[in-house]
Amino acid sequence: MIDPVLAARLDRHFGAGKWRADLGVEDALGGAPRVKATVSAAGRSETVTVDYRADGAASTLQAAGGRAIGICAEALLRDGSPSAGGVEDYAYDRIDPVTLRVLGGAFNAVAGEMAHVLYRMSYSSIIRESEDLGCGIFDVNGRELCESQNSPMHIGSLPFYIRGFMQRLAGDIHEGDVIIHNHPYFGSSHTPDMCVAVPIFHDGTLIGFAASTAHLLDVGGAAPGINVDVVDIFAEAKLFNAIKLYERGRRNEQVWQFYRDNVRTPEMNCSDIEAMIAAVNQGRDRFLRLVDRYGLAVVMGAANYWMDYSERRLRREIERIPDGEYRAEGWLDDDGKNWGKRLKVVVTVRVSGSDLEIDLTGSAEQTPTAFNVPFEGGLLVACYYIVRTLLLDEAEQDDFVPQNDGMFRPVKVTAPRGSIFNPTFPRACTSRFAQLQRVIDLFIQALAPVLPHKATGGNSASVMAISYSGFDEAARQYWMCVEVNEGSYGARSTKDGLDSVDNLLANTRNVPIEEIEMHYPLRGERYELRPDPPAAGKWRGGIGVVRANRFLVDGYISCSGDRHFEAPAGVFGGHDGLPGAMARNPGQADMEIWPSKVTGRRMAAGDLVQFVGPSGGGYGPPVERDPGLVLADWEDDLLTLEMARDVYRVVIDPAKGAVDTAATARLRADAAT
Amino acid sequence: MAPNYLDNWRTFVADYLGQVNIGADDMRRLGVDVGGTHTDLVLVDDATGEIVLNKLPTSVGDPSVATVEGALELCAKAGIGLADVGYFMHGTTVATNIVLERNGARVGMLTTEGFRDIIHIARHKRPYNFSIQQDLPWQKHPLVRRRDRLTVPERIGAPGGDVLRPLDEEAVRTAARRLRGSGVEAVAIGFMFSFLNPAHERRAAEIVREELPEVFLSVSHEVIPQYREYERFTTTCLNAYIGPKTGRYLNNLADALRRNGLETELHLMQSAGGSATVQGAVRRPVTLLMSGPVAGLIGGIWIGRQAGFPSVITLDVGGTSADIGVAPDGGMRVKHLLDTRIGDYQAMVPMADVDTIGAGGGSIAFLDAGGVFRVGPRSAGAQPGPACYGRGGTEPTSTDCQLVLGRLNPGNFLGGRTRLDTAAARAAIARALCGPLRMGLEEAALGAIRILTHSMVQAIELNSVRKGYDPRDFALVAFGGGGPLFACDIARELSIPTVIVPPNPGLTSALGLLATDTAYDFSRTELARASRLDPAVLAAHYADLEEQAAAQLRADGIAPAAMVFQRVADCRYVGQGYEIRTVVPDGAVDVGTGPAIVSAFHAAHQREFGRHFTDKDVEIVNIRVVGIGRNVPLRLRELPHGDGRVSPVAMRDVAWETADGGWVWMPTPVYDRTTLRCGDILPGPAVVEQPDSTFPLPPGLSASVDRHGSLIVDLRNTAEKPS
Repeated sequence: MIDPVLAARLDRHFGAGKWRADLGVEDALGGAPRVKATVSAAGRSETVTVDYRADGAASTLQAAGGRAIGICAEALLRDGSPSAGGVEDYAYDRIDPVTLRVLGGAFNAVAGEMAHVLYRMSYSSIIRESEDLGCGIFDVNGRELCESQNSPMHIGSLPFYIRGFMQRLAGDIHEGDVIIHNHPYFGSSHTPDMCVAVPIFHDGTLIGFAASTAHLLDVGGAAPGINVDVVDIFAEAKLFNAIKLYERGRRNEQVWQFYRDNVRTPEMNCSDIEAMIAAVNQGRDRFLRLVDRYGLAVVMGAANYWMDYSERRLRREIERIPDGEYRAEGWLDDDGKNWGKRLKVVVTVRVSGSDLEIDLTGSAEQTPTAFNVPFEGGLLVACYYIVRTLLLDEAEQDDFVPQNDGMFRPVKVTAPRGSIFNPTFPRACTSRFAQLQRVIDLFIQALAPVLPHKATGGNSASVMAISYSGFDEAARQYWMCVEVNEGSYGARSTKDGLDSVDNLLANTRNVPIEEIEMHYPLRGERYELRPDPPAAGKWRGGIGVVRANRFLVDGYISCSGDRHFEAPAGVFGGHDGLPGAMARNPGQADMEIWPSKVTGRRMAAGDLVQFVGPSGGGYGPPVERDPGLVLADWEDDLLTLEMARDVYRVVIDPAKGAVDTAATARLRADAAT
Repeated sequence: MAPNYLDNWRTFVADYLGQVNIGADDMRRLGVDVGGTHTDLVLVDDATGEIVLNKLPTSVGDPSVATVEGALELCAKAGIGLADVGYFMHGTTVATNIVLERNGARVGMLTTEGFRDIIHIARHKRPYNFSIQQDLPWQKHPLVRRRDRLTVPERIGAPGGDVLRPLDEEAVRTAARRLRGSGVEAVAIGFMFSFLNPAHERRAAEIVREELPEVFLSVSHEVIPQYREYERFTTTCLNAYIGPKTGRYLNNLADALRRNGLETELHLMQSAGGSATVQGAVRRPVTLLMSGPVAGLIGGIWIGRQAGFPSVITLDVGGTSADIGVAPDGGMRVKHLLDTRIGDYQAMVPMADVDTIGAGGGSIAFLDAGGVFRVGPRSAGAQPGPACYGRGGTEPTSTDCQLVLGRLNPGNFLGGRTRLDTAAARAAIARALCGPLRMGLEEAALGAIRILTHSMVQAIELNSVRKGYDPRDFALVAFGGGGPLFACDIARELSIPTVIVPPNPGLTSALGLLATDTAYDFSRTELARASRLDPAVLAAHYADLEEQAAAQLRADGIAPAAMVFQRVADCRYVGQGYEIRTVVPDGAVDVGTGPAIVSAFHAAHQREFGRHFTDKDVEIVNIRVVGIGRNVPLRLRELPHGDGRVSPVAMRDVAWETADGGWVWMPTPVYDRTTLRCGDILPGPAVVEQPDSTFPLPPGLSASVDRHGSLIVDLRNTAEKPS
């Protein structure tokens, strides 16, 4: 239960056996159970009670217990040197509304500035072009005050990283420390998403953390880049659990050296980590300026206010959903090794008043590959994301509702231990994006009957990440390019789905082809909308992309995606979309159709790989589509005359380039009878 | 004196002191700033320093009508004819409005086979994270519809620019004919890697020209010869989209001015400052998208310099928005080319680093759905306008709040043209704010002003502190009708030591038009490690760019003695993706150039990110030459010295903020700006009124009048707010 490193420190501090830790579970009436921990030593004792949000299975109990013990031990070890309380300890009722507003804006500005430094200064294209990163400020317990608006997969994962590294470092945090952490069984989102954090001290008191996560290129796994088909967590990456790159301001060169020696892209990774350090230092300094100016109590009080505010806004929307249980299910392709063995995803949504639970019970068991989802840094983030997105859609709000800890409070998430959504150590779990996207898509489908105006047709709900790499004999080092391919959206109740754009939990930027070819031995041969017609409907689904890249030298490729089999669903009479596909050398004699996950395949110079993204589902019956829109899609080469006639019941006169209104009316009247 | 107006992030705002004289000291120069509501005109007589002003409503249908009419009126006022004007400079929002109102040309596009949808996919990132209902503006309102985006076989390779696949000329011809059949008014040509080798684009342009001699042609390597296909293509399409209409407007205007006697050429303010001829602007109208705000920035810089404050923060507050600029040492900063956009579209062309935020006189104060007190960005605009205008507006605005606090004069607003209804303002504030917030009238009004002030403070912080500039080293130049209202509060909030209110706050932008040089930016992607630079190649490339710039300046009729060329290199550490503008020393390009660039880049990186790495190799991405044609320095006539005694024209009660966040009503003297003389000193509290603006001077501060009529407030060593 107690982390061995922490235990050793307690032993050193108080003497072996001179301290004790106790743990209990409190069943809160009507709420989630809570873990209560007490650590006593030297005549003092510290007690803390923490939430845990899972189903009570032992692995999460363990995690919550470890966290609670860590917090107590920290207080004891600190031996009088103070740490500020959590943000919820600060009242805001005496802060005037203007200061609240001012500080609300300032929190966002701090997070935004941190991200700006990171993506402008970083090296790897996945950070600087794709912005696969997150930055924010957190209280001593890891509660999120603010986080930058980059890729949503990162937003909300940092609190778990902080609680994860505090299990080991509680009481051992000093001014000038720089901490790295990527252990998925201690809160990380997955191993490539490295966290860099610095503590924030004010007048000698620890008041919180400035932290960032970003996707690093190669993480020292079995194959270069992405690793799906691996046996355990040790084969997917080098693990960093609460490691200090700097200790009290002194650079720990040995750690840096170890790191350089054990990844394939040391220059890129270390430079990116330097950029992350610059970003968190910036965040710390900016936050301290706020504290100097307004005082700690006011700043923390305002943060507490905005958390309550966001919670209140979200609860009000949950209350509008009829109480009840809603359900949807679907199938994932496979685990990246056992081809043809589909994996079930079952999403059950329970709404009761202003509380909402997402229950993954009934979903597939954990897999023997890395196609598993870290519970905290992965599943919780996705669930928080979609509840907020569906109910408080940013594009439909007049005002800005900040994303912070308050958004997480009304949502409970359940996944049985040992399932694909709550794997057990030492299962590998780096390939988790596709499962999360499907949870989100199924959540939308589950609630579509009661929220028809908020729901969409099925989304592409996948991400195809591809790592291209090779060893440059002349330079004696690897080159590596990671590409995050886009998806498409299902149609909405009043408009078509979005074409070729990052879907749901993904929101990165593509890497320009003119950037790739200046630096890597690759050539882009195609990047445009896939030629297949979009899913029909009153509103049509979004169109996926087709992208083809050729290797100019021998190298390796890995990829992690899904949705080659089950198409995004049409809703309310709309047609289903199209699944994705991947092939090597399409149209050639040596063509190979690939599954959605491959690990460390060799590519010869001249080989081409082509990715085709899924197209989203339609919304409403096609015969209700405005004929003018059908004509426009035909003019834009998105569908044929025959499809217009047979599916939409719209007759187009190709010579005139116009809808034959009379013929269309006749055809649609026939269809109605 | 060696020209030295450019260091990192800065460009060429005129530094005239001690500069060459191009020999036309007796020139009369005219500047016209056409805004959404007003057309402002300034005529300067270089011989006498006399300045004549004119302001009239913008002619909505065709802005050239008011421009010509205003220019004729102005000349009549000055007793001259248009023929006597030696230099005519125009700041226009025509190109901007075509984009914002989405009424540009039908554009056809030719692009490389396999890449038909680059401008549709964009960077595949959506604007909102937490949304499934959003639209993608570039898909909902494409600059070029898919039916008009045609592909042709061809491909240039990287990094050498070799031809991997020859251009299929017949396919180009067929596509051009198809576009002719579709009735496009403009054609954009964007081929992959054309920045490395433009041969295919050039040849395709020739064929299109043969097939569609009348269309507006926009070719990517000419518009912006830099890498990143989406940004280059979409900028090229944007250029085509606004090209025909902007061209018609500019040609019409030039013709009309010529018919009315103007003999000199019409010049246009460009987005990064500097002027372009009609001919140049018609070819690359995409360089005009920030023509409006940049004139204000330059005007503010110029006012600061006249008052002896080279480093300024400019604040131009209008009815719906505030433009904020930060100019260290009088240098205008230029945005990074990945951050330059207009409305919903990326435009990879140099733009001055001016931030526009939704905070102005019409900004509405309200409680949001969660009960939070907010102000703006929604604005009551000119119609219905603030509640106090009595034109049907019922929501309280920033102007209503200023009015109930006594800072605006209900009988003397906009020179008395608009009477303000204080009771209506009070009622609006009481209904929307006081009740729900359980606040008194003054508390609510002051609260709204504080929130608005704070959003301006934040925008200034983002552009100053974040970039490593300390606001304490700057003076705040506040103009536009609303800027002076917020000036002292903002300065206190940011510890800015000096506030400057120009003599004519509402006409500062128009004046800015005359305070700029002619300037052109020529660039090419270079991609070379600084440590492996071939000085001969670099020298040849810079020479080529300088020759292009010189040719353009010669075409503008600028004498060689008045030309200045500045070399810039966009650099980064090898492996980074974001370049920083770095100054390249003047003189011969030789073996010393590389190391000089490297050390300048380290310093720039340190300033931008707080870190630099001398052990890492530096890479040059783009090189550019800014060609500048010096104009005659603008000189203001000096005010006569006063006797130090100023007498208020009235007294009225004004609510001032106190140190504890409360307020106190104080009897406050009101001054008429036109009666102030050089050397006069106004003790606060005071309110200074003039037709185009109002300036409240809080208690404890005092303002002095400088020799050009600017009000200077020194906030150092002055008392805090009243307690």
